[in-house]
Amino acid sequence: MLLPGFYDFCCRVRIVSGQNALEKIPAMLKKMKAHTPLIVTDKGVVGAGLVDVVRAAVAGELKLSNVYDNVPVDSDYKIVDEAAKIYRQKNCDSIIAIGGGSVIDTAKGANIVASLGGDTLLDYEGFSAVKRKLNPLVVIPTTAGTGSEMTLVAVIADPDRKIKMLFVSYFVLPDLAVLDPRMTKTLPDFLTASTAMDAMTHACEAYYCLEKNPLSDSFALRAIRIVSENLLKVIKNPADMEGRLALANASTMAGASFSNSMVGLVHNLGHTIGAICHVPHGTAMSILLPYGLEYNMHRCGEVIGEILLPLAGSEVYAKTKKEERPGKVVEFIRKMNNYLHEATGGRHPRYLKEIVDKNGAQVVTESLLPAIAEATMQDGARMANPEEFLPPDAMLVLEHAWEGKPLDLGKVNKGGKKIKY
Amino acid sequence: MNINKYPQIRPGKKLFKRVYVAIMLWTVGKAIQVAAKVDKEVKEELARLPNNFTLRMMVAPEKAFPLFFYAKTLPAFVVDKGLLFYGIQMLLHKDKEGKIKYLGADPKGKKVDLNIVFKNIEAAWLVLSFQESTATAYMHDRFVVEGDLVHSLTFVRVLDIVEVFLLPKIIAKLAVKRYPKWSEMSPLRKFVKRVVIYIRAYTF
Repeated sequence: MLLPGFYDFCCRVRIVSGQNALEKIPAMLKKMKAHTPLIVTDKGVVGAGLVDVVRAAVAGELKLSNVYDNVPVDSDYKIVDEAAKIYRQKNCDSIIAIGGGSVIDTAKGANIVASLGGDTLLDYEGFSAVKRKLNPLVVIPTTAGTGSEMTLVAVIADPDRKIKMLFVSYFVLPDLAVLDPRMTKTLPDFLTASTAMDAMTHACEAYYCLEKNPLSDSFALRAIRIVSENLLKVIKNPADMEGRLALANASTMAGASFSNSMVGLVHNLGHTIGAICHVPHGTAMSILLPYGLEYNMHRCGEVIGEILLPLAGSEVYAKTKKEERPGKVVEFIRKMNNYLHEATGGRHPRYLKEIVDKNGAQVVTESLLPAIAEATMQDGARMANPEEFLPPDAMLVLEHAWEGKPLDLGKVNKGGKKIKY
Repeated sequence: MNINKYPQIRPGKKLFKRVYVAIMLWTVGKAIQVAAKVDKEVKEELARLPNNFTLRMMVAPEKAFPLFFYAKTLPAFVVDKGLLFYGIQMLLHKDKEGKIKYLGADPKGKKVDLNIVFKNIEAAWLVLSFQESTATAYMHDRFVVEGDLVHSLTFVRVLDIVEVFLLPKIIAKLAVKRYPKWSEMSPLRKFVKRVVIYIRAYTF
């Protein structure tokens, strides 16, 4: 086991997981001395009837009448301030977030303003600006991928300045995450596929990037194994509740892992493509993950090779020579993406040029690639990538990912030794 | 035990490391100022920072180191007086026209937009003696960034380029993630800039 010279790890979210986990919420809230929660969610979740599922599960013990459901796909600070205002108007004492990454981050932001006072979230921007315990926050994820329920950061947009602001503090961490397969049961197959591959990316990047540590490794390896064993089963049989619960757990574990060990070029490119072309995060992650592994192979191939054991199982791992394992990991992930592409009727893109909008128009055009490559320099994820990642390197990866060709390893700039974590 | 007789622990050891770190910060500050004038890539990277922007790199705590008071006897052009009162640090400023200037070690009266703080002298020593690369130091929490994280990424990139200019390959390889190949930085550019930066940094 690799033991780095220094690491820090913090994961203090209470996790409740199970087929009837939602029913535990009233008792848990009571223990936190909270009685009047505000539900923060979006219209899609309400439309899918998921808020009613939670209401039915806690009926008789808890009234969930205060609902804020105006959260958009990319939430901004004005939405957060509005949610905090409603929190105060209704005299709430806690928040229950029901939704995906945007809803969870909005709830984290609203909790900051509601707990610490003030009118706007802008007062708390940056690292460690939140310095004391906030009110109880319960998170019920409705996608199995973001892992936001385990992270100490809220990412909220500022539409006036056209930037995404980071609110980072250990106090931003939720108090309770509830994983119940009923919440992901209605998720369409292509979203199940991309969000699960998002969790896979979190786990893989957490395992080979520079801040890896023994604790985040254990979460990452288990998350990879669970996604690998369950994703294809759930896509084949969407009613597989055990499989759905397993994916929700994998997402949470991967969240705990990457929250403590950072991510690298896959997220660097993914964030940038998301900001410029509005590509869904999970889609970008699943396309770019094999390229991230290939690009870093010469610096940390041995570590990447270890991923083969949870990914493909002990038999394949034992049969594959040590030096061939990193390549096999990439091959296995490409095969997964191909299978998901076929199983979802082409709605899970394998290459950047396959991503289309509702009208069938290409979202990432070839002419945008240089601008994306240049903008990667503005994303913090480049720091934790094992190999240096500059705009010409980003262009090389983007060209291959756009075409869908495996990365030409001969063209990757190599100038450093193997990584010592 | 008589508490009054208990020896008081005085800070102020590690004189060599403190002097070394102070000299390195001065060199890096001056080298960035020169590199911003003579190298296109550094100029382009620094263009990402807003105008009227002040950056500070310092070693915590922000207070004078007792032995440095002896340096008071030295003339001002030998020792920056900011070091005597505010500890080891260097300030860089990008003015309204986009020119980069090294401001010395005196933060008094200056609004700092980006503050990069080494947590202690040992952390600064590890990084500036190239035992740890900038990326590893970042991962090992050797320094704290106060201000916009995006701007600190720009500074780290500039630092990497300047280190390649200033240091021989055998040492620079320890400091940066990837030492540039000839296709990324020609040897002619590297050696010419190295000479120019050293001469201009130490002369005016």
